[in-house]
Amino acid sequence: MAIIEVKNLVKTYKISEKQNGMLGYIKHLFHPKYREQTAVNNVSFNIEEGELVGYIGENGAGKSTTIKMLTGLLTPTSGSVIVNGLVPNEKRIQNNKQIGAVFGQKTQLWWDLPVIESFRLIKKMYEIPEGEYRKNLKKFTEILQLEELLDKQVKNLSLGQKMRCEIAATFLHNPKIVYLDEPTIGLDILVKDNIRKFIKDINKEKKTTVILTTHDLKDIEEVCDRIILIDKGSIIYDGEKEKFKDIYGNKIIAEFVVKNKTKSVTLETQEEDFEVIEETENSLKIRFNHDKLTVINIVDSISKYCEILDMHVQEQGLEEILKEIYRGEIIRD
Amino acid sequence: MIRNIRIYFSFLGASLKKMLEYRVDCLVGMVSQIAFQLIELIFIWIIFQNTDNIGGWNFTQLLLLYGVMMLSVAVTDLLFDATYDIGNRFIRKGKFDTILLRPVNPLISVLGESQTSTALGYIILSFILIVFTLMKLNITITLFLIIKILYFGILGGIIIGGFQTIFSISGFWTYKSNEVVWSVFQLHKLAEYPIEIYNKFIRVLITMILPFACVSYFPTLNYLGSSKGKIAYIAPVVAIIVWFIAIKVWNFALNKYRSTGN
Repeated sequence: MAIIEVKNLVKTYKISEKQNGMLGYIKHLFHPKYREQTAVNNVSFNIEEGELVGYIGENGAGKSTTIKMLTGLLTPTSGSVIVNGLVPNEKRIQNNKQIGAVFGQKTQLWWDLPVIESFRLIKKMYEIPEGEYRKNLKKFTEILQLEELLDKQVKNLSLGQKMRCEIAATFLHNPKIVYLDEPTIGLDILVKDNIRKFIKDINKEKKTTVILTTHDLKDIEEVCDRIILIDKGSIIYDGEKEKFKDIYGNKIIAEFVVKNKTKSVTLETQEEDFEVIEETENSLKIRFNHDKLTVINIVDSISKYCEILDMHVQEQGLEEILKEIYRGEIIRD
Repeated sequence: MIRNIRIYFSFLGASLKKMLEYRVDCLVGMVSQIAFQLIELIFIWIIFQNTDNIGGWNFTQLLLLYGVMMLSVAVTDLLFDATYDIGNRFIRKGKFDTILLRPVNPLISVLGESQTSTALGYIILSFILIVFTLMKLNITITLFLIIKILYFGILGGIIIGGFQTIFSISGFWTYKSNEVVWSVFQLHKLAEYPIEIYNKFIRVLITMILPFACVSYFPTLNYLGSSKGKIAYIAPVVAIIVWFIAIKVWNFALNKYRSTGN
């Protein structure tokens, strides 16, 4: 049986509609108007125990709203969520015992106290047995390099140090399911690596189910086995990461500044393995699959028709992939 | 229930530790509140420059009544101060989400965040005031009386805290909840004066509906040895009723609450 079962989940918000200007605000005061906005629209999925799932989408796609419903913070408008046999927003406290959660920049640690005090309070709250607490603390301190941080006040920690402590606090009570909402936002590469490694280690050892939302594809790349992609409140992809990569992966966009163009590059290179997205008199934007071609190949091909002055190469970001997917421009190689 | 109370005291302990981290804040808070109270006392003194009794109470007796109320307010501040402004302190900043994710009743978490540097100053000042006025009124200070003063002081604080909790739920819908709570809280001032001076409506209000008189008036009569002072012994029942309502109301409000923002 799946550890998380989500069926036809819907969440609509009531948004107050105000007209501009002072008059509009005054009107609203006496005669408020609301319109409904659907944040999550008929979402269904099952997650098995021990899965590492990346839940991705643009800002405002409905990720956080979904996570909030999974954790029981929000009540669904309709549809159902069952987490390890419990309905989270009905049995909130029971459900809280079996889950852990990190929400971006909100901290669950006690801001003015040393980190270790927060850990002790968490131990009391979750009634973690002494032995288990010691074992976890020792292990987490080692992997996340917390030794020197434990006696410091949380407010004096850097963002990366704080997030490492936050992650440790989240896993301290051996939760069965952990929700991580943007856990690596704003962190440097070393800390990101550290946190990713930690998540993988714990997942392997304890079969902890992890649901991760992020804008950093690398998080997904390194941690997740499965991807759920949400856009405008609906799931548009749900499947293995490897398959996702086959479909969208390894795209590179190269922009060239050119002169003395003799022919339309778009027309001339139609038979080739790359795609010209944009073409003007002095510039070219080309997308190609890095598994099949290199930048040198592209340069070879287009230099027949023009003189290259400058170029700029970048990997296609998640935002662009998302946009493309939304526009229905998915190209399956 | 017992587990909840234990966790509440763990949280409260953490809050007090936090408070002590800021020694200067703590000191300034204490001193300024003592100054504030002294000004109020000067007002009472000024009134008595023009009359020798209020509702049959003389200056010393009124000071005693004032001290008894202050002690309970101090206890409320110490134990339940965080409900005063939940809109601003928890909900607006999204901190309430982390509280809702704990395996603990959210009310316990909120109450446990109480930390006020003023409470300690209040407690010392009011205790001195009570003992001093009682001595001036020729009441023998016995150990039993001291225990009674502490007992009614704490119970009174629990009663006021219960009211504060009931009205704190406005914080779920308005960020101005502190003003709602403040207005209700200010009604306790009525009970800083003998209820004899009020008309029937206010008497019923502060004895039956918002029984602040059980916090100050009746315990004071009790210390003075008046037979009416026996009414003070219903204070535990009042405390239980108030908190029963408070917990029901709070849980109801919590279920209605919709987490802000995305």
